[in-house]
Amino acid sequence: MPAWQDFEPFIVSGLALGGVYALSGVGLVVLYRATGVLYLAFGAVGALGALITWSLVTKAGVPGWVGWLTCVAVAGAVTLGYGLIFGPALAKRDPLVKAVATIGLTLILYGVMDLLWTTSGGQARSLTLPTDNGGFTIGQIQVTWTQVIALGAGVVLTAGTGAFLRFTKLGTAMRAMANDRDITATLGVPVRKVEAAAWLGCGVLAGVAGLLLADLVALDATTLTFLVISSLAAVLIARLRSITVTFLAAIFIGLLHDLLTPITSLSNYRDMTPFVIAAIALLVLSRHQVMTQSREEA
Amino acid sequence: MRATIERASPARTVRRPTRPQLVNWGVTAALLLFVLLALPQLMSLYYVDTMTQVAVYSMVTVALGLLVGRVGLVSLGQVAVLAIGAWVAARLLFATTQPYPLVLLEAGLITMLAGLLIGLPALRLRGLYLALITLMLAGAITVVLATVNFPNGGHGFTGYNGSLVHIPPIRRPSIAASDPAYFRYSVVVAILMFALVLVHIKTRPGRAWAAIRQSEPAALAAGINVWLYKLWAFALASFITGVAGGVLAGAVHYLYSIGFPTQDSITLLAVTLMGGVYSLWGAVVAALLYQFLPALLNNWGVSADWLIILFGVGVLQVLTTAPAGLADQVPKDLARLGRFLRGRLRPRPAAPESTK
Repeated sequence: MPAWQDFEPFIVSGLALGGVYALSGVGLVVLYRATGVLYLAFGAVGALGALITWSLVTKAGVPGWVGWLTCVAVAGAVTLGYGLIFGPALAKRDPLVKAVATIGLTLILYGVMDLLWTTSGGQARSLTLPTDNGGFTIGQIQVTWTQVIALGAGVVLTAGTGAFLRFTKLGTAMRAMANDRDITATLGVPVRKVEAAAWLGCGVLAGVAGLLLADLVALDATTLTFLVISSLAAVLIARLRSITVTFLAAIFIGLLHDLLTPITSLSNYRDMTPFVIAAIALLVLSRHQVMTQSREEA
Repeated sequence: MRATIERASPARTVRRPTRPQLVNWGVTAALLLFVLLALPQLMSLYYVDTMTQVAVYSMVTVALGLLVGRVGLVSLGQVAVLAIGAWVAARLLFATTQPYPLVLLEAGLITMLAGLLIGLPALRLRGLYLALITLMLAGAITVVLATVNFPNGGHGFTGYNGSLVHIPPIRRPSIAASDPAYFRYSVVVAILMFALVLVHIKTRPGRAWAAIRQSEPAALAAGINVWLYKLWAFALASFITGVAGGVLAGAVHYLYSIGFPTQDSITLLAVTLMGGVYSLWGAVVAALLYQFLPALLNNWGVSADWLIILFGVGVLQVLTTAPAGLADQVPKDLARLGRFLRGRLRPRPAAPESTK
């Protein structure tokens, strides 16, 4: 068993990773609650934005902040476009069908990215944010500003989204739609507009998460696209409903994942953390299942 | 209540096959004979290997198609199940001198046990949650396999020895050592697995699955043991995928955990949906899409990424407009095209009722 000092640096990196998982998770939950779509292309649009930013900044020499805004804008635009085209077409279908349809978008984006930014060349791309260089130390632990931003973004977005859903008119409309889309429409809520807002919000979060993950993990289409599988774990623990639970689960998963690194016997298995925790949580939570036939499933 | 299902079956009364049925069987038999006898002679070794993969993956897609199309269970972890089958078969082939069919059977059964272990708790969930938990478990299995590694002739339980210099290839059956012979061997195994699925669909489990897919509460009310039949479907799919893994082990000779990434399960679901989940032909179409088209494009020097994009478009198209996939859509479109062409080529009939 390694000493406590060995764990310390991993607390910081674990919290940062958890923060980004939380960021992704909150985006996924908001969209799912408003539209019933589990957006599996979350990682892919983020990766697309990050790769475009990389091209702009390193090849075209565009100033950094323009690149980052482009990343967020691209992710938002692609997500909104998909939502406007396929959202209404699939609105009455089973949540499973809606989720599988976003796999279609994932594959398209992944193919395009692999075509335009070939990975087989072996040249590793990297996207460094200026916040990597600065930082401070707590005790002996080096903390970069990017890590602070990752955790901070997770915290701020969770709190902000929670307040938004609770106190604003648009947020209330989203919560109403999560309960019943048809009745909400009857009450005079512009359902399509609210859905479009949710799509855009989710896309913007995907862009931010993509940018942070490209810096913290790797700028690689495959990794970033399928990293959504790991961040799904936190969403699943929250059963696609609670933002607070998503946040806590994400932080827990991120921490546990990184804290396993110094333990040599478990280090190789640490990537299992999100999957195992999600599986256990789902099984425990589903002990008492009632067979229901909701309108969505019919 | 059980008797109701039994009585509804037409199996008791022997019916004379109809003409379309006979034509259908005839075409299928001719096609199978062509594939078994002539195809390996006509193709280069590159395409023989590719078609062996098609045979292997047609088993995987038929199992997934059974789950998705017949029972309504979406699994996003079939590549992990395939990897388990391949691992078990490779371990047995290195450790024992058992005949190959026996190894395939054992690989299938052990994979089935693993599938049952996963399925027992997972099947309490349904719909989206079931799909996601299979994805989570597949992710976990992939991580374990990456650490344990595939057997390479070493000793111990894992059969992996990282310091081996001369890694022995995974053996093939003595009657099918060459590539064309092994292709025929895999096709025969695939035919047996398709037959196994067909038998299930045409008999009692198939009818129970159809009822479950329509409505679980209704099936429950009709006295169908929903839990048992779902588990049965899961076990059958795992068995078939495990056997496919065994065939894959011999086909490629060397297995690496990097060959079974979690995301391939997602692509596999995409092609299975594109091929069509309501017919067995759909599984063959899906396997051709998944293995043959990439090889073809590779030969032409076209990037396989175009294919990924095509799969993505295909999934969206299947889900929005053509739920039965290519296996259903293409014959219909061809028939429509045929009618259209006939209408163009023939002189327009002068019958007055056609212009009303």
